[in-house]
Amino acid sequence: MSVAFLFPGQGSQQVNMLKRLPDHWLVDKTLDEASEVLNESAISLDSETNLQSTVAVQICLLIAGVSSARVLAANGAKPDLVAGHSVGAFGAAVIAGVLDFQDAVSVVKQRGEWMEQSYPEGYGMGVVLGLPEQILGEILAEHLSQGEDVYYANLNSKDQITISGTIEGIKKVLDKAKEAGARKTELLNVNVPSHCPLLDTVSEKLTFALKNIQFRNPEIPFAGNRTARALRDPEAIKEDLAQSVSHSVKWHQATSLFYELGARLFVELPPGRVLTDLSCHAFPSARSVSVDDSGFHTAQVLINRVKQPY
Amino acid sequence: MVGVKQVSSTNRSWTKRRDAKAERLKNVEGISSGKVIPTDRIIEALESLIVPGDRVSLEGNNQKQASFLSAALNKVSPSRIHDLHMIMSSISRPEHLDIFEKGIAKKVDFAYAGPQSLRIAQMLEDGKVKMGEIHTYLELYSRLFVDLIPSVALVAADKADKEGNLYTGPNTEETPTLVEATAFRDGIVIAQVNELVDEVPRVDIPGSWIDFVTVADKPYELEPLFTRDPRHITDLQVLMAMMIIRGIYERHEVQSLNHGIGYNTAAIELLLPTYGEQLGLRGKICKHWASNPHPTLIPAIESGWVESIHCFGGEVGMEEYVRARPDVFFTGKDGSMRSNRTLSQLAGQYAVDLFVGSTLQMDQDGNSSTVTSGRLAGFGGAPNMGHDPRGRRHSTPAWLNMMTSDDPLARGKKLVVQVVETFQTGNTPVIVESLDAIDVGRNAELATTPVMIYGDDVTHLVTEEGIAYLYKASSMEERREAVAAVAGVTPVGLKHEPKRTDELRRSGIIALPEDLGIRRTDANRSLLAAKSVEELVEWSEGLYNPPAKFRSW
Repeated sequence: MSVAFLFPGQGSQQVNMLKRLPDHWLVDKTLDEASEVLNESAISLDSETNLQSTVAVQICLLIAGVSSARVLAANGAKPDLVAGHSVGAFGAAVIAGVLDFQDAVSVVKQRGEWMEQSYPEGYGMGVVLGLPEQILGEILAEHLSQGEDVYYANLNSKDQITISGTIEGIKKVLDKAKEAGARKTELLNVNVPSHCPLLDTVSEKLTFALKNIQFRNPEIPFAGNRTARALRDPEAIKEDLAQSVSHSVKWHQATSLFYELGARLFVELPPGRVLTDLSCHAFPSARSVSVDDSGFHTAQVLINRVKQPY
Repeated sequence: MVGVKQVSSTNRSWTKRRDAKAERLKNVEGISSGKVIPTDRIIEALESLIVPGDRVSLEGNNQKQASFLSAALNKVSPSRIHDLHMIMSSISRPEHLDIFEKGIAKKVDFAYAGPQSLRIAQMLEDGKVKMGEIHTYLELYSRLFVDLIPSVALVAADKADKEGNLYTGPNTEETPTLVEATAFRDGIVIAQVNELVDEVPRVDIPGSWIDFVTVADKPYELEPLFTRDPRHITDLQVLMAMMIIRGIYERHEVQSLNHGIGYNTAAIELLLPTYGEQLGLRGKICKHWASNPHPTLIPAIESGWVESIHCFGGEVGMEEYVRARPDVFFTGKDGSMRSNRTLSQLAGQYAVDLFVGSTLQMDQDGNSSTVTSGRLAGFGGAPNMGHDPRGRRHSTPAWLNMMTSDDPLARGKKLVVQVVETFQTGNTPVIVESLDAIDVGRNAELATTPVMIYGDDVTHLVTEEGIAYLYKASSMEERREAVAAVAGVTPVGLKHEPKRTDELRRSGIIALPEDLGIRRTDANRSLLAAKSVEELVEWSEGLYNPPAKFRSW
């Protein structure tokens, strides 16, 4: 049996997500390292005002995930596999030993800035619940052929799919999805059309930026967002981190692969429990816990129990 | 003989296989002591006994796993051992595919890969695995004697003595088949055992068929795959079970059968002593079984419904119960059960009146598949049970009941019943216009589409709406109408004209619950003979010992 650490993406952001982290020297150290790169105090990034910017959101998620995983590791609670949803993948790469945290902070900052600058208004994301992938695919293909900019974004679970594009196009697709029998559809409070070809230029810039950053062999398998493969080659991880912003995140497949590789405990790093809900639903025979909900101590006890079953 | 040139027998060796085996055995003379390979030298022994390109049969089925040997194979040096052709009835453990990632193995033939179905699909797409074929269990076992004869077999047993006699007990499963195919063609057979003893309780496989035994670091893995907690059976499943008992078992006098595993079939088993008894059917139906020892069969056995059960394999927790019921189960002189997957599959294919099972998708022609997009699962035994072996000749009432003409050469038919709810959770229709399996097969470049049960073999379709007696349909069009009539509000069902339903009912091609004298409001869980695992234990007089994960008291 193995333990998978899951690092959440933008949908999990919370005001004060950094200030709520435990009082631990490793959290302080992680914040200091981030502040040094950013040239400002990282702890203030999680205010409601600052979180209006996707740059702050992405950096906060990276800090929250990495510092929490470091605290757990200091107590012997380490993962066998790591995956991160969207920007969460950078935290996962840091914990897999592929990339230095400070390098990750500087790249994530640029990633956020490029994403923010690409479509200042009129674009975003939506979510469709309870409609088979194939039927949504047909609706999207129809709208795309009519010249609307709408695409698949993330395949989060068998019945939760997000789409990206123009607000106008998204609304049309959501209406059609509802008509076709979707249980629920919703326009998300996101102003960047992530994980679709509209962000191709961001991927190009990231590819260039990552060229000069040192990547090491992962100590444990890392799940790619775009390919849903367990990656063991640093170059493949680099490519995935650059490309995933303009490609679908195959989250359901990536975590299913981990289940097949033996993961029976899924631990979601702070903030939130979005990924825990997905895993609970997808893998009823495994255990899924959110560190935010259950606390560091419980997570640590469960992880250590999996490692030493007897 | 003119024109026929005989190869001179003085130049030709007829013992190349035997000689090659002798050579390999010499390589481990310094490692093994007699037939026993020390636990800590197994990797070294495998490296000495296996040759690159070998065809290796690794015992891993859906219950018993040769987990110590598969872990050891995963640790051999890929520079010494590579490009193996693996034959596995079930690909179920992560290391079964790790060996392909490392290059130790290259090609695979299998029957079932449910627990690794996404990964194998990815690896096939990435060129890390070369596909042989996806077989049914019986096809795979029989090919072991024709053109997939193993060079090496790695199997699991409970106990062995120093002569290599094996005790496999309740979990004999396919071990004898894998060993026989290898041992009698000069292959090498290595068995992992939980313990080495002076005398085995009974000999399930004779020592002269076995080359080596090795004591595993921990007992082989065994999964309780055939246990269904009655707590999870729904009222809807009770309704469908009532329809099956009334509209199929009673109507056709089904005396021998196989139940696939699932909550639908568990519900039928638990309704026999209650609803079946009310109908006065005891002694008339469901007497002989080819199935695993499902714990949900206990109430029917205890109330005298069941005369015999032959099993594919054992079930964790059922050992003592089976031992105490030798009039019903096949048992050895030592008292414990003897299973045999090959023979039980054969019985389920060739000897029983009926198979009933479920699926994830069915198309309008009745073709079904549990393959869903991006996954390559295979079907194990379901296609063996779930088809009509056309050469059969039976005289049981059920078999003869399937004749639909007066032609003197008319044949009977095996009853193949598919039971499904029209929708899965998450708004996904089960009855669909086209199977996902078609795309999966195309993407994986399989020679044939991975269909589990072919539509023309299905005689009955049961949904929460009613029963379609497909064997009675006189044309393909009528058959499609019958499927659509019980397909509810799925895309296939919505195309059905409701006014045709009454005509189909009148001609007996479909039956709704009311046509069978079943009131939907009567169908609820209170009819189940046992409503929890705890009650199954009570029925068994404490002999059934459920695994911890099924205990809630």
